[in-house]
Order: sequence, then C-alpha cells, then structure tokens
Amino acid sequence: MHTPNDEQFESYLKQFRPVAPEALPAAGTSLGSHRSLRLGAWVAALAALLMFGTLILVMRRIRVVVAPQAPRDVASMEHRAASEPLTLRSANAWLARAPSFHAAVDALAFRSSDNSVRQGQQSAVALLSKEKIKL
Amino acid sequence: MGGTGRNTEEIEDLYRRHGAALLLFAASISGDRGHAQDALHRVFLKLIENGTLNQATDKKAYLFACIRNALLNDRKRENRNAPLEIETKWFVPPERDYAGEQNLRRALGSLPEDQREVVVLHIWGELTFAQIAELVGISANTAASRYRYALEKLRIAMFAKEKACAHSK
Repeated sequence: MHTPNDEQFESYLKQFRPVAPEALPAAGTSLGSHRSLRLGAWVAALAALLMFGTLILVMRRIRVVVAPQAPRDVASMEHRAASEPLTLRSANAWLARAPSFHAAVDALAFRSSDNSVRQGQQSAVALLSKEKIKL
Repeated sequence: MGGTGRNTEEIEDLYRRHGAALLLFAASISGDRGHAQDALHRVFLKLIENGTLNQATDKKAYLFACIRNALLNDRKRENRNAPLEIETKWFVPPERDYAGEQNLRRALGSLPEDQREVVVLHIWGELTFAQIAELVGISANTAASRYRYALEKLRIAMFAKEKACAHSK
C-alpha cells in the first residue's frame, strides 16, 4: 500500500467518525429530582421522629399499668423463693409467674435462706467457739 | 420563558450536531473518557442554565473553547495529568476496520498534546486554522504548521507500521 498524500490521508481520517456522547441529561429534570429527593428525606425523617415519639409514649403507658401490681408480685415471688429450694424447674416457674424478667432475677438473687439450726443439733460455728485452740 | 425554551432547543441541537467531535476533543485533552463525558455534560448544562450561548458569534468555536477551558481548569484544580486512555474506543471505524481504528487511536495518542488538539479540531471539529488560532491562543500560521507536523507524524505512525507488516510477510 502506497503512502497517501495529504488530501487522501485527510479524507481517510475523516472516514473514522467520533463515537457519539451519552444523551444530555435534562437540566430541569435533574434539578427537580434533587428537590424531590430532599423533600423525601425530610418526610422520612419526620415519620421516623413521630414513630419514635409514639413508641416512647406507649412504653411509658405500659410501665404505668404494670407498676402498681409489681410490688405485690415481687413480694410474693420473694416469699416463694425463700420457701422453695432453687431448682431449674422452680426458676422456670418463677420466670413464668413474674411480671418481668428483671423482677424474677431480683427475687432469686435476694431470696433469704432459712439457716436456723434444728433442735438437738449445733452449728459448726457454735462448736468451734467452744473449743480452746492454742495458737 | 419562550426565549429560554428556544435557547435550550438550540443548545440541544448543537449537542446533537457537535457532541461527538466535542467528546473526542475532550477525551484527547483529558485522557479519560469518563471525565471527558462529564465535562461535556457540565458545559452544556451550564449553557442551558445561564443562557450565555447567545452572546457568542461563532457558536461552534465557542463550544470547543468552553470544553477546553473546563478541562484545563479541572487539571489545574485537581493537579490531574492523566495519561491518555487509548484502550477505550474513540471512533466508529469505516467498514468495520477495527484494526485501523486502534491504529489511529494509538497514533493520535503518540502525538504531543498541542499537535493532537490541532488535528482533532481541524479534522473532526471542522474548524479553520483561524478559529483554532483564536481558540488555542496562537497565530493561524502556527496552527497550520502544527497541523502539518502532526499529520506527517500520524501518517508515519499509521502507514510505516503497515508497510513493515507487509514487508515482513
């Protein structure tokens, strides 16, 4: 193939057409979409705030309803906890009866155990106190 | 309002007619086709919003000048000097001559930037040397001589390779 002269070479180059660009985005559309996006964000934030407020109000009401019964229940729970030995079954039963998980755990944690010594028996501490230990 | 609508229509028409050449010009300056496309959109959207195109006497040359300024400003601001991305397709080749297209792209990429922009503006932008001179800020004679040098280099780059291939066969 011979080397073309200037004119031939120019017309050869012009046969290669540049690739077309992507379509021009409409200016109005882009501005409009930005505006609607901002509005949508505000509405979503407001809705989230309302839901959060409602949730807090509902939670407070539930607490108010539960609160007067709680001391009685807790007292009975503590009494039961003190009288029964702690087993898995009894713990499950307390949990089922308790007004809340927190109250049940409190009842179990602070239950008083009956440490009184039966008649005719002596405690280990009493026996040790009688002995004279030479140091 | 009607004036703005007419202005938008005119700009969209200019985009349809010169968009491809403007994109090629932008890509030949920026080196990155994505960045070139963004710059092209930015310039046209700004023209639609501001309506400054009416003040220009030579609208086509004004568009090329806007693209050039936008890209040179980006380069200055971002300190960006990306190497020319010649792997992306720049042209639609005649008769599916994809090898020729790749050859042309590489040959254009091997030119110095000032010569490449004159070639692109004259051949695909169809601007005269006087228009190019005003756009680039050089004399018309300098523009013409840059073009001749560039054309010679392109011819050698494209056909010397083909000759070498033919001889080797």
